[in-house]
Amino acid sequence: MSFLEIKDLHATVGGKHILNGLTLSLGEGEVHAIMGPNGSGKSTLSYVLAGRAGYDVTSGSVMFRGQNLVEMKAEERAAAGVFLAMQYPVEIPGVTTINFLRTALNEQAKARGEPEIDAVTFLKRFKAEREKLSMNDEMVKRAVNFGFSGGEKKRNEVLQMAMLKPRLAVLDETDSGLDIDALKLVAGGVNALRAPDRSFLVITHYQRLLDHIVPDRVHVLAGGRIVKSGGPELAHELEARGYDEIVKAA
Amino acid sequence: MAAADSKVSTMAAEGEIAASFANVRANLPGAGWMQPLRAEALARVVRDGLPHKRLESWKYTDFRGKFVGGLATAAGVEHSGERLFDRLKCHRVDINGGKTLSVPAAASCQDGLEILDLAQALAMPSLWLRQWLQPGELVMENLNLAFANGGVLIRVGRGVKVDRPVVLRSLLSEAGTAAHTRAVVALEEGAELTLIELDDGCVEQQSLSTAVTSFVLEPGARLGHLRVSAREGAHLVMRQDFVELERDASFEGVIMSSGAALARQQMHARLAGSGASFDLACAYAAGDSQHTDYTLEVVHEAAHTTSRILAKGVASGSGRGVVQGKVVVRPEAQKSDSHQMSRALLLSAGAEIDQKPELEIFADDVKCGHGATIGSIDSNQMFYLQSRGIPEQEARGMLVSAFMGEIAQRIPDAYRDEVEHWLACRMKGLAL
Repeated sequence: MSFLEIKDLHATVGGKHILNGLTLSLGEGEVHAIMGPNGSGKSTLSYVLAGRAGYDVTSGSVMFRGQNLVEMKAEERAAAGVFLAMQYPVEIPGVTTINFLRTALNEQAKARGEPEIDAVTFLKRFKAEREKLSMNDEMVKRAVNFGFSGGEKKRNEVLQMAMLKPRLAVLDETDSGLDIDALKLVAGGVNALRAPDRSFLVITHYQRLLDHIVPDRVHVLAGGRIVKSGGPELAHELEARGYDEIVKAA
Repeated sequence: MAAADSKVSTMAAEGEIAASFANVRANLPGAGWMQPLRAEALARVVRDGLPHKRLESWKYTDFRGKFVGGLATAAGVEHSGERLFDRLKCHRVDINGGKTLSVPAAASCQDGLEILDLAQALAMPSLWLRQWLQPGELVMENLNLAFANGGVLIRVGRGVKVDRPVVLRSLLSEAGTAAHTRAVVALEEGAELTLIELDDGCVEQQSLSTAVTSFVLEPGARLGHLRVSAREGAHLVMRQDFVELERDASFEGVIMSSGAALARQQMHARLAGSGASFDLACAYAAGDSQHTDYTLEVVHEAAHTTSRILAKGVASGSGRGVVQGKVVVRPEAQKSDSHQMSRALLLSAGAEIDQKPELEIFADDVKCGHGATIGSIDSNQMFYLQSRGIPEQEARGMLVSAFMGEIAQRIPDAYRDEVEHWLACRMKGLAL
């Protein structure tokens, strides 16, 4: 049984065809990067994997550890171990980060038939994880992402990932809007989570993130399909030659 | 034919009220001076008729259409089980079926705080009280005056800061009955008080309760007010408040309402002295076949007065929320500053929200702002929560609670948790 197997995936958004026969295989513990020009379907792929309403799979399949993700609700996918670090994390005024995360952890535990996490254990883990990301107490007492800077929002995504311990993490342009220090901090957080039982799909426009999170494989997405795959050196080739040339040659 | 029918039924409803008054008037409390006031109030009810949707201020709330009549006087049946504010350290007044069951003994109140059962106060030849018990312009106020048989009179003496909140709990749990209560809350110069009111009880057949409260704040007095309108089921709840603010007096209120078939809170505030301030935050959660109405009027009569109104509500199923906010700025009220904001979330296709801000400004150097929004739950926020494993129902509940949280934030720490818990339970029952 493969870890993640996407086969001939077609998906539409608002009736428009965005993914057109995407096929991709990701092994357990592997880190794959997906690179592509604007409009190639990168964000759509991330939403389709996470189960966002309005992103309709018209054919093909996404098998994740033996389960067909396409048939599952977003919250069921999360409980199964899928996590999406979003390009634009959403502000939720009135819901504190701490309450949000505790609810999420407990709901996932409930869905998996595991016991809920007790308050003391939760707070201990939470404190440890947020300190690793240099997030102060004040920040997490505020409402989720509310009034956060771009960098703080991305750090908060990594904090959630660290707390929820997913099996598959999809990082949608986690590097966008980050200065070099924030990028290092976020990448460091992600690297710390690399584990033999955890896989990553790192979606990015630029190669610079991949200097910090070094992938096992790199795929080029264009026109809603993977047009070329290779090792980490492919990212450098893209950076040097641009998407146009690579996509045309593929 | 239709017109004739409606005429007949008009006669029926008000005629029935008049007949009911004739039956009970002898048993209503009050010294001789009270009787003509009641009779005049009743005459005005019959003359004006019960309010209906052809009247501008009742446009969205058809009281007459919903009122079934034939109601007996509530007796005040025993109630068991936990209620809000049970464990709060406070001065407690219990009203049941419109009758005042208990008020704190004078000895238990701090110096300068006086709490009297209204029925007892009415038995005295009180000139002071009489000014707050005059027939007025509003039908509900007059209906209440004619029938009022319980309530309370609270006075706080000059400069006295009352250390514990006064809690008025009014229970009505008898189906097919009516209860009418009246309260006068008077704060002398520089006095401070926190007042909490709870209206609760559940009925399966229509019961009517009217309550009129007059808040009188002398210069520099401060009142913190919380009302939880928690009646459930077939209740018709008609609340009428009059707030009078003299120089530098301040009223800070929170009202929460959920559960009744029809609950209307109508409040008139007069900012009569310069520097007076009025701040009201109201919340409503109208579930299936519930109708909640806030009709507010703030009149700036003096310079440098400030008013703030914030209303937030949700409606689901066939629930309906009405917020009418009128701000009047008189010519004398230069440099006054008023703002009102009303926000609502529609949680189902069958729900309805009506928001009507009104401004009448007769002064030229004032700030007067207003805003109103109606929306539904944000799909980005929903996806964010669900993508972290929070199921749809739970996620909607979190977002609705967060939306309402802005109002709950204003409640003092000592009892915010229990009120928030109450609201959360009500919202769970909304079938989000």
